[in-house]
Amino acid sequence: MFSNLALAYGFIYVCLGLIAAGIIVLFYMKIKHNAEQREMEHYAAKHHDYFVYVQAHLHDDIKLELPPGKLTRAERRVIQAKFIEWIEQFKGEAREKLLHLCREAGFVEEDLRALSSPRKGRRIEAAYRLGGMRAEEAVPQLQQLMNRTRYGPQTIILARAIAKSANEQRQIREMLSRLLSYGKAIHHMAADILLETRLDAPSLMRKLLDDQDPGLVKVALVAMWGQAVPAAVPTLNRLVGSEEKDVRAEAVKLYLGSNPALKDDTIAALMRDHAWEVRAAAAKALGRLHAAGSIPLLAEALKDENWHVRNNSAESLAMLGEQGFETLCQAALTGTGPARETALYRIERIMAKEGDHEEVEQMVAFNKKKLVYDRYFGIQPSKRIGTVAGVGGDYTA
Amino acid sequence: MAVSALYFVIIMLSFRNIWDIYRRASYSKYNTLSGSELVPSVSLLVPAYNEELTITENVRCLMTLNYPTYEVIVINDGSSDRTLDVLIKEYELTLLPNPEVRGRLETKPVRGVYYNPQYPHLYVIDKENGGKADSLNAGINLSRYPLISSIDADSLLEKDALIRMARMYMENPEETVAIGGDVRIANGCVIENGAVKNVSLPRKMWPMFQSIEYMKAFLGGRIGWSQINGLIIVSGAFGMFRKDYVIAVGGYRGGYPGEDMNIIIKLHRYMLENKIRYRVAFCPEAVCWTQAPDTYNILSNQRKRWGRGNLKNMIENRDMVFNPKYKVMGLLTMPYNVIFEALNPYFRITGLLALLGYVMLDMTNWHVLLVFGLVNFLSGYLLSIGALLLEEIAFRRYTKLSDLVKMLLFSALKFVGYHQLGVLWRVQGHIQYLQNNNSWGTMTRQSWKDKKEAA
Repeated sequence: MFSNLALAYGFIYVCLGLIAAGIIVLFYMKIKHNAEQREMEHYAAKHHDYFVYVQAHLHDDIKLELPPGKLTRAERRVIQAKFIEWIEQFKGEAREKLLHLCREAGFVEEDLRALSSPRKGRRIEAAYRLGGMRAEEAVPQLQQLMNRTRYGPQTIILARAIAKSANEQRQIREMLSRLLSYGKAIHHMAADILLETRLDAPSLMRKLLDDQDPGLVKVALVAMWGQAVPAAVPTLNRLVGSEEKDVRAEAVKLYLGSNPALKDDTIAALMRDHAWEVRAAAAKALGRLHAAGSIPLLAEALKDENWHVRNNSAESLAMLGEQGFETLCQAALTGTGPARETALYRIERIMAKEGDHEEVEQMVAFNKKKLVYDRYFGIQPSKRIGTVAGVGGDYTA
Repeated sequence: MAVSALYFVIIMLSFRNIWDIYRRASYSKYNTLSGSELVPSVSLLVPAYNEELTITENVRCLMTLNYPTYEVIVINDGSSDRTLDVLIKEYELTLLPNPEVRGRLETKPVRGVYYNPQYPHLYVIDKENGGKADSLNAGINLSRYPLISSIDADSLLEKDALIRMARMYMENPEETVAIGGDVRIANGCVIENGAVKNVSLPRKMWPMFQSIEYMKAFLGGRIGWSQINGLIIVSGAFGMFRKDYVIAVGGYRGGYPGEDMNIIIKLHRYMLENKIRYRVAFCPEAVCWTQAPDTYNILSNQRKRWGRGNLKNMIENRDMVFNPKYKVMGLLTMPYNVIFEALNPYFRITGLLALLGYVMLDMTNWHVLLVFGLVNFLSGYLLSIGALLLEEIAFRRYTKLSDLVKMLLFSALKFVGYHQLGVLWRVQGHIQYLQNNNSWGTMTRQSWKDKKEAA
């Protein structure tokens, strides 16, 4: 018991010491943080007029001046933060003026020095700000820093800083390669980072599409979502036949999005592809392309094992006029299982839009569908009501 | 002593990681991500049982998050109050004739799905009462997106909470099966338009104790556990999951409380048994504010329920304890939970009785009792100080100096009464388990407006 008691006394002393130290540090930090906060607010108010001056003349043909007098460290931080915020918001000449101001004020130089700081936090903070200031001279150092950083949130911060600052496509490629080298399926994050570049993004993406590394090709394909890059269509056409499943699926989505003229056997091959992503993308495109000849293929695809393919097929059928809608009604009435439920759900969504159509053409198209609907299901609206459909057991979404 | 040692190791792991958390929270900007098509789509599942007072505010909060693509699915779990009517009226919802329910997880019968095309991302499922897990399963069945997020109907998310989690997910999408968010106590805060406007500590005693308790558990505990992939729970109030894996493990387990812990244990088990690389992550910068029970009865019911749920989960998964096949989970997390969480009250009670017996034998040794009492108090208080330091380093949600004083005071007061009540409630929970008492207990809500006035 004695030795236990001695240990307990020792433990008590250590705890008391640590508690006292902890409380002191807590108060110190709280007071310091609050003082810093007040100081920042004070300087933001003090330089309010200067910020108004900069903002008012960003688009004028004059050289912007720095604030007069010697600035404290905190003042410099406040001004730099405001500049970085605006750099993100403005493009073109206004942005260039702000970047010039950052250099003139010595912010870039200061943060370049901080990149060599022994403190990790200081280095990351500097990297973040250098990215904000599009400091191309920082890229080699940022790359070195990224190469010796273990994968984690810091890697992403460094990669973004490089993407924002780089003035050569080679630097972006190297950064992306490094990012993918960790083996973490982060193509979406990498694509988002890639889009931060101030270089000519379409040209960069076209170049990446031709890269030997399938990972980089995928990043470029993902980055191209929702962007029209007509010059890339021939490359996409080639990638549609890629061996890599992910690359093929992404390429098909983009290729079909460019509304190409498709041959019947190409359509049939895409709808038979073993990757559901490809079948789904093809099914979605067929409605948009008004490919009425593909109605039998879409009707068959309503029975697909994948929900996306079924759903996109039904959506496309609904876009293919009376004939497409009639195919849906047939599937709803005579089909079974998921095909029937998918068709029913789509029909209900279309019929629920009664009265939503303002254009005459839309009204006419709707009324035609309504006639087909009434022919299959009768005129009573109550017949439309089904119970809660239990479809599929398919969670592929 | 052993308990304290392990607690200290875990909090040290939290300290090791806290600067990285601070940096990623400060230097990851979300304005581009929150408008990007590249961010994964999420289905938010909000089980609601008798939530008529808070549901409107909560749904409003969820409809205005900074996130590109998501849907909100509220599941009315057979409420006996006007939860469904309130939602129908507020959002002018109508019964969807043929809703597409794609999932096949077994649930209590669904009476209907309500929808309004003017709010294309909001769905309300009306189903027969089946409990929280059953409601989440019904939500999964209707959901369209690859990620799901469970959110309690009495909780409010910060606008950036979801995008912060998504950023963490995008850093390692293949291996991330679940991410937990930080849950904080909203009592005392000013709530406006479904958002926390002014952060303040609760004015009432019970929520104040819970505020300290949550901070200690989430910042001091979960950050550390997540470092070694040993998180055993992602709070039911706010978590994000990969839907395919949740389905693969059969969805949420119904019929018993503790479904939030259960789903995480099942995910660990599934991934380890199938030798798939994975992580259960914790994102403390993604914050959810929740209403804490503010009366003794409600709080004791909640804690008894937690005690029951914990015991049930440990008994159900006893094969994982000390089983090297389950790695950190089997060798550290599960034994820790069995010994230091489930059986902790009994160790404490027997230890105290033994010490009392020893002192009774020789009254001159009365100071021994005092010394060990002091050891207990000081080690616990030191851990609270640690959690407060973590908060101050990385989050600084409470800015007033008086808040710090109050937190320090309640961190100490917690050991005089509240801590002991916690032990008692857990034992009572275990007794309820043995008696097969499986009720949820009373959980009354106050509207956020009343809460502001009362807290």
